[in-house]
Amino acid sequence: MIRTFRAELVKFTRPRTVAVTLLLALVVGVSGAALVMGNASPVAEAGDADYATTVEGLAEAGGGTELFRRTASFAGSLVFVLFVGVFAVEYSRGTYRTMLLRQPHRLRLLAGKLLAPLAFAAGVLAFTAIVFWTSGLVIAPGYDISTDAWVSADGLLAGLGDYGMILIWMTGYAVFGMTVAMLLKSVPLALAVGVAWAMPFEHILYGPWPTAQQVFPGLLLEAVAEGGRPEVTAGVAAISSIGYMVLFMTVAGLVFQRRDVTA
Amino acid sequence: MTQNVAVIATDRLTKRYGERVVVDELTVEVPEGSVVGFIGPNGAGKTTTMAMLLGLVRPTAGDATVLDEPVRNPARYLHRVGALLEGPALWPGLTGAENLRAMARLAGHDESRIPEILDIVGLSDRADDRFRGYSLGMKQRLGVAAALLGDPELLVLDEPTNGLDPVGITEMRALIGRIAAEERTVLVSSHLLGELEQVCDWLIIIDQGKLIYAGDSAGFGTGTADTIMLAPLDPGHLTVLADVVTTEGLEPRPDGDGLLVTVEGRKPRELAAELNYAALMSGIVLAELEVRRPTLESSYLSILEGENA
Repeated sequence: MIRTFRAELVKFTRPRTVAVTLLLALVVGVSGAALVMGNASPVAEAGDADYATTVEGLAEAGGGTELFRRTASFAGSLVFVLFVGVFAVEYSRGTYRTMLLRQPHRLRLLAGKLLAPLAFAAGVLAFTAIVFWTSGLVIAPGYDISTDAWVSADGLLAGLGDYGMILIWMTGYAVFGMTVAMLLKSVPLALAVGVAWAMPFEHILYGPWPTAQQVFPGLLLEAVAEGGRPEVTAGVAAISSIGYMVLFMTVAGLVFQRRDVTA
Repeated sequence: MTQNVAVIATDRLTKRYGERVVVDELTVEVPEGSVVGFIGPNGAGKTTTMAMLLGLVRPTAGDATVLDEPVRNPARYLHRVGALLEGPALWPGLTGAENLRAMARLAGHDESRIPEILDIVGLSDRADDRFRGYSLGMKQRLGVAAALLGDPELLVLDEPTNGLDPVGITEMRALIGRIAAEERTVLVSSHLLGELEQVCDWLIIIDQGKLIYAGDSAGFGTGTADTIMLAPLDPGHLTVLADVVTTEGLEPRPDGDGLLVTVEGRKPRELAAELNYAALMSGIVLAELEVRRPTLESSYLSILEGENA
């Protein structure tokens, strides 16, 4: 697994890849912080004060990283698409064949292949969170949001908690993307099925059946990123999501372990 | 060539996809240190056999060993094997050197050998160019480089000349020759038989998944007779020349402006001399007289025709 992890890092640590990613994170961090703060309402005007972004909420200890969490929750499909690409494109290029000739332990290969982009993404997320926090600190006075509580022990703890939740959210979409890619072996097919399931399908069901929020993986992951929803707390959503991840990884591992690699 | 230990041994190795039998009870041995040509028409089962030997495809039945280890446990031998299967599948966005670095890390091989390997395959000056910008010949050579990274005891190359132009084929043949000279076993499949003939000392021939021939390349085609081609200077003498040949107890058949005679039970050179003398005695001057040895291609086609008859 370590060998595969190190091999995969060759792709992610190219200077150009790193530079473009960090630039993108910088742009998203600055503009995202401004957007979230600009759309925050006072509690009195917010619909559901527990889950909406409010001026008072952003002024709390975790306000600096809540900016980041709120923005990230919209990027689930992006993470899914990226990981479908990472895993399915190896089938279309025939590179699983190339890799298995060097690393015949298939589960180790799959684990290393999942962990490397996750580690890279975790680093990028940490950088983005810092950009959000710093940008928020600069922009907040313009929106009459106090940031005194951000720079405190509670602020640090809240920030770590938010970062942890975002990691679970990201890993969930990554594992979902990997599993769909391993099952279908085709980027367009995996994207079509995965996006159709997690995005429109789950949300259509959620309308008439709110319990769907406690059941379906896509909705659970959204709840994790948003710090919970009326139907499910962030903690329960995180635990349920981890359960789904274990299930998905088992399925992907079994499929890859047993499949003839002919392409 | 040592040829005392089987580097690869298959025992009724079989692969079926549903009702379709792709490899049919294949039993062969590959001697250590040999350069083995793996021959068969498209769809004969060559790549599937190689994929089974490399742990990519599970056999439906039968068994095989590679470097004395069972194919059902490829982790026990693949670190001693280099392979290029179904063309070079590498990452287009990485440079040649980066692709090799990823491969070396994946296999746990020494990354410091990369410059040396790039030099062997003649890609040192293009090492920092992206793979997607390589010509097909360069891609194939980088694929061979990736296979050589671990200094393997066994090298498996599937159609390494596929899609190459004549210059690329010549370069690849020279490369295989250099690799083979390093005391390792090489299994190379191709349908360019003329290319294999020049580098292989052992042959395995399959058709429709079944073994047709396995053995020394020198022994292959011994069942196919030599022929003599003779043509008169004056085309008008062709009929008379046919009579002369018939008088010698042979059965001539037309071959362009000349005649072709199959040599059976006699020494080809002596027979050619006798025919030359007999023609001269009949007043015929020969413009062409050639003893034709069976080529790998002619023997192969002859055997396949026999199989399919």
